[in-house]
Amino acid sequence: MEDLSGQEETQKVFGAWEITMKNHELKKLLHRIPIPEPDEKARERTLNKAMEAFDQLKKADGERIKGFSLLNRLRRKKLGGCPLMRKSFAVTAGIAFSLMLLIAVMIPNFSAYRGAPTTKDTYNHAPAAKHDVAPPTVRSRPVSGTFERGFPEGKKQLGHPSQEYVGRDHFEIITPNPVKLVKEEPVSTFSIDVDTASYAFVRRALHTGVLPQKDAVRIEELINYFTYEYPLPRDRSAPFRPTVTVIPTPWNSDTKLIHIGIKGFDIVPGKKQRSNLVFLIDVSGSMKSPDKLPLLKNAFGMLLESLDPQDVVAIVVYAGAAGTVLEPTPVQEKGRILATLDSLSAGGSTAGGEGIRQAYALAEANFDPQGVNRVILATDGDFNVGIRNPEELKGFVERKRRSGVYLTVLGFGQGNYNDALMQKLAQNGNGTAAYIDTLNEARKVLVDEANATLFPIANDVKIQIEFNPARVAEYRLIGYETRLLRREDFKNDLVDAGDIGAGHSITALYEITPADSNARLIDELRYGTQEPVGGDRKGEKTDEYAFLKIRFKLPGEKASRVIETPIGLDVEYTSLAKVPVAVRFASAVAAFGQLLRGDPYVKDFTYQDVIVLAEPARGRDSFGLRTEFLNLVRLAMTARAMGNT
Amino acid sequence: MDIDSDIELVQRSVSGDARAFEHLVTRHYLTVYRISYKWCGVKQDAEDIAQEVFIKLARKLKTFRQKSSFTTWLYRIVINTAKDFTRTCATKRAYESAFAFEHGPENPGSLQANHHAAARLYKELAKLPEKQRMAILLVLGEGLSHREAARVLSCPEATVSWRIFQARKKLKKSLEHGR
Repeated sequence: MEDLSGQEETQKVFGAWEITMKNHELKKLLHRIPIPEPDEKARERTLNKAMEAFDQLKKADGERIKGFSLLNRLRRKKLGGCPLMRKSFAVTAGIAFSLMLLIAVMIPNFSAYRGAPTTKDTYNHAPAAKHDVAPPTVRSRPVSGTFERGFPEGKKQLGHPSQEYVGRDHFEIITPNPVKLVKEEPVSTFSIDVDTASYAFVRRALHTGVLPQKDAVRIEELINYFTYEYPLPRDRSAPFRPTVTVIPTPWNSDTKLIHIGIKGFDIVPGKKQRSNLVFLIDVSGSMKSPDKLPLLKNAFGMLLESLDPQDVVAIVVYAGAAGTVLEPTPVQEKGRILATLDSLSAGGSTAGGEGIRQAYALAEANFDPQGVNRVILATDGDFNVGIRNPEELKGFVERKRRSGVYLTVLGFGQGNYNDALMQKLAQNGNGTAAYIDTLNEARKVLVDEANATLFPIANDVKIQIEFNPARVAEYRLIGYETRLLRREDFKNDLVDAGDIGAGHSITALYEITPADSNARLIDELRYGTQEPVGGDRKGEKTDEYAFLKIRFKLPGEKASRVIETPIGLDVEYTSLAKVPVAVRFASAVAAFGQLLRGDPYVKDFTYQDVIVLAEPARGRDSFGLRTEFLNLVRLAMTARAMGNT
Repeated sequence: MDIDSDIELVQRSVSGDARAFEHLVTRHYLTVYRISYKWCGVKQDAEDIAQEVFIKLARKLKTFRQKSSFTTWLYRIVINTAKDFTRTCATKRAYESAFAFEHGPENPGSLQANHHAAARLYKELAKLPEKQRMAILLVLGEGLSHREAARVLSCPEATVSWRIFQARKKLKKSLEHGR
């Protein structure tokens, strides 16, 4: 019925036009075409791409200048590499923002246009308006260079450019730790990592039947996703205790694994510190999808439930601009906090940098020296407005770290996820990064493990292990590639490292090749001095594999404490079957991670072998996480099969 | 701050000022997107064209000689990009969904009719030779004068007028035919 009348109307309009065939009639008609709004994402991408092209060109110019004259070279150096950009940050910001705002303002105009034919003003030349007032923000592009929207190049026929989302998540490139010769490099140093983001991301990929990107797989995060019941210290004078075991390597009969497990004390109930939390929430256009802002609201709602009434919560949001939507409010007034949370909606670009600045300012203004002060950042990581340079953002967070404010980064969504930046922020801001893909994961991070997430018990935890050449020929640290420290950093208390939260458990694994093994990967030197292998030399502690040192600071302390323990033959298990379940399960997860990454060291170990190893080692598994892990391994099998055909 | 003219912004961009360039991009994004949309009628393609336009803009900025106005120059890039795009990519695709718009209860019948009529017109336009179509889009769609359009299309003014005349003739014919 409606269709028919529509058709009649069409005829009428055309009829009028055909009779006159006047230019202005034609013009009017041409202006009646409804134009859909361009996607926010597309607009951002265009800006990014254009700026990229611009920067490339400028860089090329710079190179030319560099080669041109010494004088120029010196001048450039003096100004610090990129003088123009640096100088113009503050102002750029204003302009970038005002334009974003302007465009945002224009969009409703378009909708209006859709609804009713308006004059040509709405239509003609875009944005010549005046928006002078703008907070200083500068745009920063996601560092990802992997994604190219499929614009046809040359004569190539590409069909319709479709958005391939999987490839746009941005991860830092990981090269597996190499095998090292004990004689050359007897000491290995790294920072602990309690993040779990990688596991959730891997899970999400596998649930869609796709193997995750190799760089998305950080083995230490897969292992540390699970809670292991390692023994606690006898009393509370030390916050945690390392438990070391040496076991046969499941995937290689010629090597052994050194397993280092650390379990921290949980908070004594009733002795909780007060929390001063600032939720920093990304409400940019990219957060619209149900697995982002809506999930985030639910997650924060859950977190509120696990807070105490005297804890204080503030909310800062950022999109095109950043703003405080909720001044610090005690959790007692939960209703008000929830209402504010609920009223948030997504739209606009992402001024993440400015948001972080405001959130820290708020946390500092409300600083509680007795409590835990923390900024909780929830985002998909695609900061495109704000501090332009990820390095600068990192630097900012790093400086703020000294003020005693912790940072927790919660990653959301897929398709545009900038994991690399999230990791950098968390690592440099005394914080942890978790990836929230489901409500269940939100519950794990924010409720079940809220204490670990919120209350640190040890800061800057570094592990150093010295291998005994009499016992160990080669070693390899599994995972922790992004957390390696220099040998001298271990004793330098200014060098930042990971923090342990209340009740956290952390695991690290070394694969070692015994000195008397024939399976060594690195040959003896022909011209090196032949040293006797085994226990022939005098004064050597031949009953030790290695010596473990852990340095950490108690929260609020400046000086480190050290825990030391030799790793002797007494902690060795010769049969895998007798190994404690926690250790076996951790090694299964390690094998899984290496398989996902296609690391060369796992030899012919298969996913099936992982299942065989992990299944009987599930332990109590009260939350079903380990069972879920087994399912993931099964999914990985079929995901791989799909990749092969 | 927004009163900086395009020319000023271009000059500053050429000398390496990233914010000036950013300003240019954001200022002209919607305009470029809209013409692109009117050219191809598919939102995604229009976004792609716009993206390519601004990448080209970054690369070509130095060659802008200020003989013409910036917008004229930008229009030229848009038009060339749009033409390239349809040639390389879209020729084999039937633009069935082109200029489609949602029927919503919020659109009263007469409006829908207007939309229908406009969409039909654009579809007819798409059948015209590229040159005529461009002339129509610039002069009637974008409101450029014949002289300006001539600059964009790098042809004499009279040619623009001739193309528009031809296009109108064809349009009338095909629309009558279509009834």
